[in-house]
Amino acid sequence: MSTDAKSNPSNGWEPKIVAFCCNWCSYGGADSAGMGRFQQPASARIIRVMCSGRIDPLHVFNAFLEGADAVLVTGCHIGDCHYVNGNDKTKIKYKYLENVVRELGIEKERLQLNWISASEGEKFANFIRDVTAQIKKIGPSPLKPEGVV
Amino acid sequence: MQKGEMYVGWSTKEDVRKRGGSGGLVTSMLAAALEKKLVDAVVVLKKINEFEAVPIITSDVNEVLNSAGSLHSVPSNFAKLIADRNLKVALPAKGCDTRAIIEQGKRNAINLDNTYIVGLNCGGSMHPVVTREMLEVMYKIKPEDVHGEEIEKGKLIFETKDGKEHAITIDELEEKGYGRRESCRYCTIKVPNNSDIACGNWGVTGDLAGKATFVEINSDKGAKLLQNAVDAGYVQVQKPDEKGVAMRAKIKGVMEDLGKKWKAKIFVPMDNRLEFFRKELENCIDCGACKTVCPTCSCGEVSKCTEFHMRGDAYKMSMYHLVRFTHLADACIGCGQCSDVCPVDIPLTRLYMMFANPIQEQLKYEPGMDMRKPPYFEVKLND
Ligand SMILES: Cc1cc2nc3c(=O)[nH]c(=O)nc-3n(C[C@H](O)[C@H](O)[C@H](O)COP(=O)(O)OP(=O)(O)OC[C@H]3O[C@@H](n4cnc5c(N)ncnc54)[C@H](O)[C@@H]3O)c2cc1C
Ligand code: SF4
Ligand code: SF4
Ligand code: SF4
Ligand code: FES
Repeated sequence: MSTDAKSNPSNGWEPKIVAFCCNWCSYGGADSAGMGRFQQPASARIIRVMCSGRIDPLHVFNAFLEGADAVLVTGCHIGDCHYVNGNDKTKIKYKYLENVVRELGIEKERLQLNWISASEGEKFANFIRDVTAQIKKIGPSPLKPEGVV
Repeated sequence: MQKGEMYVGWSTKEDVRKRGGSGGLVTSMLAAALEKKLVDAVVVLKKINEFEAVPIITSDVNEVLNSAGSLHSVPSNFAKLIADRNLKVALPAKGCDTRAIIEQGKRNAINLDNTYIVGLNCGGSMHPVVTREMLEVMYKIKPEDVHGEEIEKGKLIFETKDGKEHAITIDELEEKGYGRRESCRYCTIKVPNNSDIACGNWGVTGDLAGKATFVEINSDKGAKLLQNAVDAGYVQVQKPDEKGVAMRAKIKGVMEDLGKKWKAKIFVPMDNRLEFFRKELENCIDCGACKTVCPTCSCGEVSKCTEFHMRGDAYKMSMYHLVRFTHLADACIGCGQCSDVCPVDIPLTRLYMMFANPIQEQLKYEPGMDMRKPPYFEVKLND
């Protein structure tokens, strides 16, 4: 299947979106999105971490190299981190990570940062839906290995 | 003597002065520091031939005195040599050596209080292999016949054993891909004011030109080093004339501007970047030499990047390099060491700088120029 065919939304291509979620906030957000029965696409693969500060740029590269079409870094709102300042550190690491991904020439839609609390189920669902639509428009990631859909 | 002062000086040992890059002052100052026990060891280059030398750590004053002279085709970097050894040491250091030593200091691998950094002004250095080829192709002389080398008025001059001089302008050499290493062309640290004392030949005027070294004291340690050499009778100094001070400042400015121009020329915006990086890195054999040599990296033999020396999978980019592009974004000083050692000639310094330039500009962070903590180590950044 050619890249064009794969990325054609009418063919029903679903992007793979890896969302790193903090146990104390966005993971709960994902949960409440489900419980609130907000419609969301099947594109997200959620990876739970104990704090967004645990997300190493390496994890994000790995997701891309294994075939993710987009990677989302999510955590508690600034000031609400369960471990005082883990998400301040996330912000710094994200700046460096974003720089590498952008300089590599990867579209900016493919890497996004968002702060989502446990009660913001709707925000989480909307976020995933928006990103999915954006990625459907631009197609599969150029870092996706051959043979991986 | 104190911080901020400038002097012109020379070695009181006639042969050291004669062999020295300018006045032999650096060599004598290092020897005096050792002799008077200001330090336990000194790093100098031990010459193999006109193009090659190896850095050594020595406590032998004679070995230090023998090292006099500047080698322009020895693009070594001394920082890693003294890292993790807890030495009380004095060493000569070009701009890039100095920056790397300071970055190692921030990573607790070098104790800067015990390290006397004798800065060398630096217009650039050349790769020894490229230099040999250049001699044959551009100068039409055999490398073995070379007896000495100097830079004068923008020309690189080689003297052969038969006493003849062969001169070509550096501009012409660089146009043909020879001359200074690419990283030196866009390096803008021409007078290392980040060192304890900056030494060079710029600013030496009149009869003393070529026979004395111009020094600028940058720190208390630098003042102590020079005072010690004077007290020990190893060097003589006098105040520079105003003309010399002005001339030095002018050349420094011109060279820095030239460096900036090269930088703008080399780092142009580019489309299809992913293709570009993939193409450049496709021959990488994962030997790890670029990491081993990197003078601002203080990780041990086994580190995060080296966990990914494998190509068994279908990954479209090297994870090893992705990790390093991230980690070096605020640390890369553009020293050129990685490009120098790569066995498959990947222009690594250019690649690493493509990731480092935007972060360093955005965060206004210049690695190795002061003691500011690397932003990656901060807990919080002010927006
Ligand atoms: C690559 C290079 C480029 C230079 N470019 C300029 C310039 O453009 N303008 C200017 O004013 N001065 C420049 N200098 C400095 C100048 O050549 C003299 O080194 C300086 O004036 C000190 O002279 P000296 O006689 O006191 O030093 P010396 O007594 O000759 O002592 C020199 C010391 O430097 C060490 N050394 C020699 N080569 C290197 C090297 N490649 N890397 C690290 N250490 C080395 C030797 O081991 C010795 O200890 C440059 C030096 C180098 C090494
Ligand atoms: S990178 Fe700068 S300081 Fe280092 S050798 Fe080149 S010109 Fe000299
Ligand atoms: S990445 Fe290369 S140019 Fe940058 S500091 Fe390391 S060795 Fe020097
Ligand atoms: S030195 Fe060259 S071949 Fe070796 S790991 Fe680095 S880029 Fe790859
Ligand atoms: S606990 Fe959620 S970001 Fe730190």
